[in-house]
Amino acid sequence: MQKSFKLISSLFVAAMLMVSAMSFAQDLPDVPRNQTLILGWDLSAAVVGVTNPWALPGYTHQRGNAFLWEPLSYYGIFKSEEIPWLADSMEYTSDDFTSMEIKLNPMAKWSDGVPVTSKDVVFTFEGQMNNQTLPYHAAFNQYVESVEAVDDLTVNVTFKIPAPRFKFEVLTLKFDTGIPIVPAHALEAQEDVNAFPGGLDMPHSGPYNLVAWDLNQKIFDLREDWWAVEAGRIGVPEVKRIVMANIGGQQMDNIAQRIVNNEMDAALDMRSSVIKSIVEQNPMVTTHSGDQPPYGYLDWWPNALWMNTQLEPYNDQRVRRAMSLAINRELLDEIIYEGAGITTIYPFPLYPALQEFADSPAVKALEEELQPGLYDPEQSAALMEEAGFTMNRDGLWEKDGETVSAIIQGFEQIHSDIVPFLVEMLRNAGFDADVNFGADSYQNMADGVAGLYMFGHGASLIDPYAALELYHSRYSAQIGTSAGNNRFSRYANPEYDALLDEMAPLGADNPRFQELAAEALGIYWKEQIDIPIIQWLHRIPYNQTYWTNWPTADNPSLGENGAFWAHTGMLVVTNLKAAQ
Amino acid sequence: MSSVTLSNTAIRQPNKVTLFFRYLRRNPSLTFGLLIMLFLVIFTVHGLLTINTKDAYPLAVRPKMPPSFQYPLGTDFFGRDLYAAMVIGMWQTAVIGVFAGALGTIIGTIFGFISAYFGGFIDAAITSICQILIPIPAFLIQVIIAGSIDKRSVTILTMAWVVLLLAWMGPTLVIRAQVLSMKERQFVSVAKLSGMTSLGIIFKEILPNLLPFIAAAFIAQVFQAVFASFYLAIVGLGPVREPLLGNTIWSAQTQGAFFNGWWWWPIGPAVAMILILGSLALINMGMDEMANPRIRRSE
Amino acid sequence: MNFRLLSKRLLFLLMVVWAASTITFFIPRISPKNPVRERFAELARTGGFSPEDLEVIVADYSQRFGLDKPLLQQYGDYMWGILRFDLGISLNKFPKTVMQLIYESLPWTIGLVFITTILSFILGNWLGALAAWPRSPDWLKNIATSFVLFQGVPPVLLGILLIFFIGFKLKLLPLGGAYSIGTVPDQSIGFFLDVLRHQLLPGIALVLGSVGGWVISMRGMGVTIQGEDYVTFAEHKGLGPRVIFRDYYLRNALLPQITGLALALGNLVTSAIVVEGIFALPGLGTMLNSAIRSNDFSVIYGIVLFITIGIATLMVIVEFLYPLLDPRIRHQ
Repeated sequence: MQKSFKLISSLFVAAMLMVSAMSFAQDLPDVPRNQTLILGWDLSAAVVGVTNPWALPGYTHQRGNAFLWEPLSYYGIFKSEEIPWLADSMEYTSDDFTSMEIKLNPMAKWSDGVPVTSKDVVFTFEGQMNNQTLPYHAAFNQYVESVEAVDDLTVNVTFKIPAPRFKFEVLTLKFDTGIPIVPAHALEAQEDVNAFPGGLDMPHSGPYNLVAWDLNQKIFDLREDWWAVEAGRIGVPEVKRIVMANIGGQQMDNIAQRIVNNEMDAALDMRSSVIKSIVEQNPMVTTHSGDQPPYGYLDWWPNALWMNTQLEPYNDQRVRRAMSLAINRELLDEIIYEGAGITTIYPFPLYPALQEFADSPAVKALEEELQPGLYDPEQSAALMEEAGFTMNRDGLWEKDGETVSAIIQGFEQIHSDIVPFLVEMLRNAGFDADVNFGADSYQNMADGVAGLYMFGHGASLIDPYAALELYHSRYSAQIGTSAGNNRFSRYANPEYDALLDEMAPLGADNPRFQELAAEALGIYWKEQIDIPIIQWLHRIPYNQTYWTNWPTADNPSLGENGAFWAHTGMLVVTNLKAAQ
Repeated sequence: MSSVTLSNTAIRQPNKVTLFFRYLRRNPSLTFGLLIMLFLVIFTVHGLLTINTKDAYPLAVRPKMPPSFQYPLGTDFFGRDLYAAMVIGMWQTAVIGVFAGALGTIIGTIFGFISAYFGGFIDAAITSICQILIPIPAFLIQVIIAGSIDKRSVTILTMAWVVLLLAWMGPTLVIRAQVLSMKERQFVSVAKLSGMTSLGIIFKEILPNLLPFIAAAFIAQVFQAVFASFYLAIVGLGPVREPLLGNTIWSAQTQGAFFNGWWWWPIGPAVAMILILGSLALINMGMDEMANPRIRRSE
Repeated sequence: MNFRLLSKRLLFLLMVVWAASTITFFIPRISPKNPVRERFAELARTGGFSPEDLEVIVADYSQRFGLDKPLLQQYGDYMWGILRFDLGISLNKFPKTVMQLIYESLPWTIGLVFITTILSFILGNWLGALAAWPRSPDWLKNIATSFVLFQGVPPVLLGILLIFFIGFKLKLLPLGGAYSIGTVPDQSIGFFLDVLRHQLLPGIALVLGSVGGWVISMRGMGVTIQGEDYVTFAEHKGLGPRVIFRDYYLRNALLPQITGLALALGNLVTSAIVVEGIFALPGLGTMLNSAIRSNDFSVIYGIVLFITIGIATLMVIVEFLYPLLDPRIRHQ
């Protein structure tokens, strides 16, 4: 026995030696807990230690890289305000949205002391235009004619066609979209910018340095010489160190337990029932809506049941409508969300500007007429019979011996609370429903397989154009090809396209734009292009034991949301106040 | 068994049932295991006769109710009657386990026999295939396969097939080793001398003696199958809508049942799973005793 | 240890590697998915990606990863790479190589799986031997039996219960992670102890689940040994029960068990994959799990291959160690 104990202990020591051989760059100073922010996030799902935004497909701005990279402008969604950042201003210089002038902040500097100049902006833009693997290559190609540095701080952009939304959609960082500015002097030297990982030493403009990482955690330390403080953009951040701790693979309720035990200050968003228990069990934890339902804020990703409208039998409007009529939205609100009205009939999130659109008389009248949220099993059955289906022995609709495949493709981590209910509702109405939470569900959506896809509309934020444009026929790829993200319906309708084409060059405050948008929404409802189900909420627990001043409904800060992983995560962190 | 009764012929032979019960008295783990198993079977059969199948699926009853007279095991977040879910789950879990276990064992037994009986090239081929496949982690392969199947065709039975694919090598090697050792035993030589055919020897002499080993291999397979179906549920594969025990435990976990104070949700299926597998393990241990004549001698 | 046997075993090892790599290579290819597209589609889901580009990008990267070549050529390249210990580049975590990723996550898995395997081996065999030993008290036999019952509890479930009761309610041990959040790894005793504390709960979950198997097999083995002539002889020589238990009985019964050790390690890896996730340990299992979820082929087969080769190698090593432990066996 003794021998074996020796064996164990030597094995253990050997294993430990391997652990400590892991890569930590330098000796780190000690930072006390009350100056450290601990965030729980899944580090296992992507590469850790890549900091170059152009290293693709490994890079993601999530997992802390958003603390390193800054844009020309941020957008504070809950205040509906632009937050100028590297740029002091960014204005269209013509009425038809075909040219733009960008003026940079003269104080802006990279972390190695080199100033941020128009050269970097031009480099960033031209990179997107020339390097086809970069995420906004297509947008730049479609819109941008030329980019020109007028002087060190001024850049002029000329567009090929009117681009009223380019500034917001591409050049402004908000949620998970937009581009940051990258340092020309660091990337120019690289032979293949897509293969350059960046590492710890990559010059960046954001307030934190990545100082250490392994698969268990990433550590970011505050940079004392951050330009934005000197430039008066923001006060000196109180968070001296950010530790992003890996929670990959761990179950949500275990993460909830760690938050209740004050191990972490915030972690990714929770299901409705879990966050309620967190708030109840630890009074120091709050949420966007305090201790009241819905315990979270509105995200930009309202979920619908999408389907491939080119495929039998979903190409029949009556079948789509019958499915929608089988969904009891009121019951969902009651059971899952404790009565908070989370279900929706819109393909866009109801942010202030969009709420206004939804409340406009034209839209209200359409809603009254078309009843997009109606639950009526009898009408559903009548439509199915009209479409030529008969009820078979198992109580399922059948035509030519085939039941209606209503397998819902979804994602277990975020959909495990709602999809089982949808499946049962559809089954009760005679649709052959089931659920697939497998690793292949996303691919199935993109491939347009038979069935329903639980997925969001990550599109509109300040006007309905982007959401409505998802159904433009230019994205309606043939069956057999892969559909683009958020564009699974493959819907084609010339009348609808015409409306969208007329909207494209118009600004959102144009009355004609509003008129056309209402008309398009009417077609969306009438045709039941997809079945809108719920607004998407981020329910992020904020632990106030060490940090206060989290962005909440009562304390909107700059208008950023609390998603510390999103592009605006840097604003969340730098606005926190120490509690102790 | 025959070898044991052979040595006892001098004494008056009690009937087989009495012998069996006497034996059970001396083998507590087997007894205990069988009793639990019997209880589970009665529970499931009784349940299947009384419940409404629909109650085992969402939206059937009022959700989140603790155990009460009306719902003896409570109801879950999705509005399933957990008693109904457990009865159906036990039945489905048993189907997967028994199906995959039985087929794996049968295939293993056949290959083991062929290998040991014919020897030579066939033996070498079968054993090396087994030995080469055994170090490959079966679960990983199952995940890859289960992920590639069309979801609409994933049923309880396809699950069993997936589990089965890499579950026959163990029994093959065990049975082969036992047949080899038995070939050399006296009773086989005696049978050969007395002019029995090969098939006769296999079915009349060797197979009965192998039964405890086959049973043990079977139990080990059932184990693997139930675990595999649970693990597949954890990675989101398999028939997720069905109230398999593993699925119910996992859906309780994904909704934070413990943390939210719905303790009754995962407890039932977890206890059921432990009882099924634990009783099998006990029976396995008891079988070992039966298969090993020396244990009997020492008692 | 002669040359023929050695080459025979090496051949076996090669065959295992070949079989494992072939299976892992072909099974994912049967399905019509394109991992590159899936990766970019996921990027598109979380970040702004204009989808019109997707096909262009996919084609570009498919070329970079060699996915556009004929299947057989890919297979050949892949096999050639394996012979050079090159498992390729991760699709999902580009530009990292698979070997880099394995190296980053391996220590956590080795620490957990190795130690728990050996602990459960010792505990299980000891209990099994005692259970079969006629002189041991009844309560000990009962403990052994209850461990057999524990076999029925999936380690994942145990892990969840342990986290909730011991970690969350009693606050005795950490709820997850490889070491305390914010600690900077170093070579100090303090850090080792911290890591150990974090491995305790997952370790217990894995050990409790796997002790039973050893108990059953050791018990059977022990009973057989008791009937051997040398044990009877030792008894007649008048040796004390302690000496007989340790030198004659335990030692001989343990030998065949060692063969099972390498295989048990393989079984435990399966459990560890899921258990690591529950405890947010960034080991091979977690890496594999995320690779499976993102269809990162090269990482999936890299890890499967790595584990398989590890197990097969251990089996071979054990076989060679065997004659050293048991003087009766000599390889001819």
